[in-house]
Amino acid sequence: MDLQTTIDAETLLAVDVGSVHTRASLFDVVDNQYRLVATGRSLSTATTPLLDIGEGVRMALDQIQTVTGRRLLDESEGLIMPSTSEGAGVDVFVATSSAGPRLRAILVGLMPGVSLDSGRRLAEATYLEVVDEIGLSDRRRDEEQIDVILAARPDLILIVGGTDGGANASVLRLVESVALAAGIRPGSPAPRILFAGNRHLGAAIVERFADQASVALAPNVRPGLEGEDLTPARNRLAEVIAEMHAAKVSGFDELRQWSGGTLMLSADAFGRVIRHLSQIYDPRKGVLGVDIGASHTTIAAGFAGDLHLSVRSDLGLGAPLPSLLRYASMESILRWLPTDIPEDVARDYIFNKSLHPATVPMELDELHLEFALARQVLQTALAQARAGWPKRRNGGGTPWLPPMEPILAGGGVLSRAPRPGFAALALLDALQPSGISTLVLDPHSLTPALGAAAAVLPMVTVHVLESGSFVSLGTVVSPVGGGRAGRPVARIKLEREGASPLEGEVRLGQLAVLPLGPGESGKLTIRPEHSFDVGFGARGKAGAMRVTGGAVGLIIDARGRPLSLPKDAARRRELNQKWLYDIGALQ
Amino acid sequence: MKASYLPPVSHVMSLTIVRRDRTLPFAGTVTARLNERVQAVDVIAEAETAPRHVFLDLARGLGVSPKEAPNFLVRQKGDRVEMGDTIAGPVGVARRTVRAPADGRIVAVDGSRVLFEVRGEPIVLRAGMPAMVVSSDGIQTVTLEATAGLVQGIWGNGRMDFGVMRTLGSGPAARMQTDMLDVNLRGAVLIGGMCDQPAPLHQATELNVRGIVLGSITSDLIPVALRLTYPLVITEGFGSLPMNSAAYGLLTGHVGHDAAVDARPGDRYSYQRPEVIIPLPTSRQADVPDDVIPLAPGVRVRVLRAPFHGAVGTVRDLPLKAADFPSGLLARSAAIEIEGLGNRLIPLANLEVIQ
Repeated sequence: MDLQTTIDAETLLAVDVGSVHTRASLFDVVDNQYRLVATGRSLSTATTPLLDIGEGVRMALDQIQTVTGRRLLDESEGLIMPSTSEGAGVDVFVATSSAGPRLRAILVGLMPGVSLDSGRRLAEATYLEVVDEIGLSDRRRDEEQIDVILAARPDLILIVGGTDGGANASVLRLVESVALAAGIRPGSPAPRILFAGNRHLGAAIVERFADQASVALAPNVRPGLEGEDLTPARNRLAEVIAEMHAAKVSGFDELRQWSGGTLMLSADAFGRVIRHLSQIYDPRKGVLGVDIGASHTTIAAGFAGDLHLSVRSDLGLGAPLPSLLRYASMESILRWLPTDIPEDVARDYIFNKSLHPATVPMELDELHLEFALARQVLQTALAQARAGWPKRRNGGGTPWLPPMEPILAGGGVLSRAPRPGFAALALLDALQPSGISTLVLDPHSLTPALGAAAAVLPMVTVHVLESGSFVSLGTVVSPVGGGRAGRPVARIKLEREGASPLEGEVRLGQLAVLPLGPGESGKLTIRPEHSFDVGFGARGKAGAMRVTGGAVGLIIDARGRPLSLPKDAARRRELNQKWLYDIGALQ
Repeated sequence: MKASYLPPVSHVMSLTIVRRDRTLPFAGTVTARLNERVQAVDVIAEAETAPRHVFLDLARGLGVSPKEAPNFLVRQKGDRVEMGDTIAGPVGVARRTVRAPADGRIVAVDGSRVLFEVRGEPIVLRAGMPAMVVSSDGIQTVTLEATAGLVQGIWGNGRMDFGVMRTLGSGPAARMQTDMLDVNLRGAVLIGGMCDQPAPLHQATELNVRGIVLGSITSDLIPVALRLTYPLVITEGFGSLPMNSAAYGLLTGHVGHDAAVDARPGDRYSYQRPEVIIPLPTSRQADVPDDVIPLAPGVRVRVLRAPFHGAVGTVRDLPLKAADFPSGLLARSAAIEIEGLGNRLIPLANLEVIQ
């Protein structure tokens, strides 16, 4: 990326309201490049007792004011915008949010494998928990479907089905049960309805619900026979979710007003950055973004501009943590630990963390446990997200990732890691990248801000991504192959300017880190054994490439793909500990 | 400069004004009157829950065309009917009719179909504590107010009851055992330390206890706790955690008094928290609890995480510089004087204000 456009100096303030923390980031132009100037972080105030995000936003802004001396708020605590000649205020403000109560949704669609699948993908890409689905092939009687809707008490009913100008009688028949259910319970709040089906039926749908429920119309998720188009419907759904959050928590309207009417969902903004990167980087590889938050885990994969976004509200390191046990055994969580923590202690920890999501580990064992949980959450979320990726991009369903460049990671647990090796090893274990990738950490949780800013100041995204605000953990070489531990995997040679070359053999099971610091680069030559693929197009194929360094260094992850851990618990813990030392997490 | 940190607040108050909403799951009828003084067991609202719906096909039942069928309706949307009542008809020489299959209500007429709501089981909403009715929406929610002692918990099993408080075991760390439970505790609200096995919880059911308040239970007991017929409130969390000294002192200081145990699960987006309310005479002055208390020297706090999980102390200092911990984390912290342990640095994120 070499963009030399001269830019008008405009100061940008971005706020991301999360379920646990609210972050503010101030960007300004330095040497004709946007740079991160300061960040502020506070506890979010979306929950009780305040139920008003405004206080948390102002506390985060106050930290920036203290650090920079730049006045952002006026006497009435309103945002100063545009900036003044005295250097107060900002020119552009953008906001994103993932805060708000969990929203329960029922999905209504025509055909399994067609509109219902599109509707499910739409719902899974945002902050919704789909509690039931109703379709044409549903074996439940109409009255049973009504009872299901009444018992589920959904906040939102998402209706899809029919191509534009296509099926209408079937869609209207399905809508009938929903409309009857919506009108039955006087006194109970009616669910919001979002219709993203045959657009010719929009008026009929609005009329059918009349004063029973508020209907929002979105562009059809499957406008034609040729396939789905989720993006326009996703934007409308995001607006509806933001409205529903605003109905329960104060302060969103003010944020929307400051941002000129646009308040993006954090996951959408995160996805926008991944899509953007996938248009810039090697189109033969994908770009992966993972964000592990307290209340949600977001997996975004971009393939040459084609974004696949998955948001899991039941997977996170805060309140939803016990839900992990629905998908993973305690054994699968404990296998990542380098120390012996009894299962009952770990289980108690999971439930306690869900009660106090903002708490942080004081002791090393608890930090290890938190990272073990992060690995399992990521692995589970990734496996489920991959089910929605295009088949030809999914690496044939292997346990390891198809080639991705770069891999961008965010989330509190990773960004507050005491040493970068903790984050790097957690990502390698959970994601199992293959071939050659770069691991990039977003320590200030800037990605949503950049996604939101892209619409108004596209250069900000480009400049900040290239700046030091994101931490490159390093280039990772992950040969794909297996066999007996200790067998040769590849010979490698790293040539750096002004230093003698490093050359040697890596063996299966080894995790090696070569010194190549941030900003440094070198020429890497790899000669894999015939049964290992390092990403040069075939097993055994050798090659050379320029690689860049990072906070960890150049990582050669020769532990095999799939990564297999010893069955013996003591040996496994020993190995986990050794890898933590090898990657520099422990010293 | 604004308050830089607003920690969560938990109330452990010997005397306060408790104002609580009691809400039916569905709209129904509020039976309590404004300014009425109610007792814990008094019914304050009623509704029908979990109704079942059936479609009645008028055309098929009457043997007429779907277009004609609505003309033979003799009941309207919203009408309540009893089992066997005629809803449509009679028609023709056979005098065919469509009758109500059960007691219930006609909730919709959809062309030639009638959507019939089978009457559900009645549910009642009880006051749960002696209090005054201070407001109501008439159909679903009643607001009660009482002067009381208050201990908020962290987790509850969703039940609610009222009874006389008794202690269980010898202190806030006492492990609940079956041999602690005898007939003298029948019908009581039990205050104890912790529980790590299901047997005592089951045995308490046989004693018809009205509630149990503990510092902690082990997390493997959660499924057991959720099936109990009595309310269970825990104050600290999961594992083997003694009840904090402030809560234990307040609760055991009122042994022999009535207490309402409301074990509703906590919800971060509503004001619901599990709690124990000890109704007290109204002759003394009391204040409404503060919901927001900025962290400052002198404020009483509780530690939410190991290694001092559950310890109560007082903020002595709030250093500006972040402190590093054995985990390797750097975090803004507070110097807390912990009862019996002296001054300790604790990350701000691991603190909760106790009022």
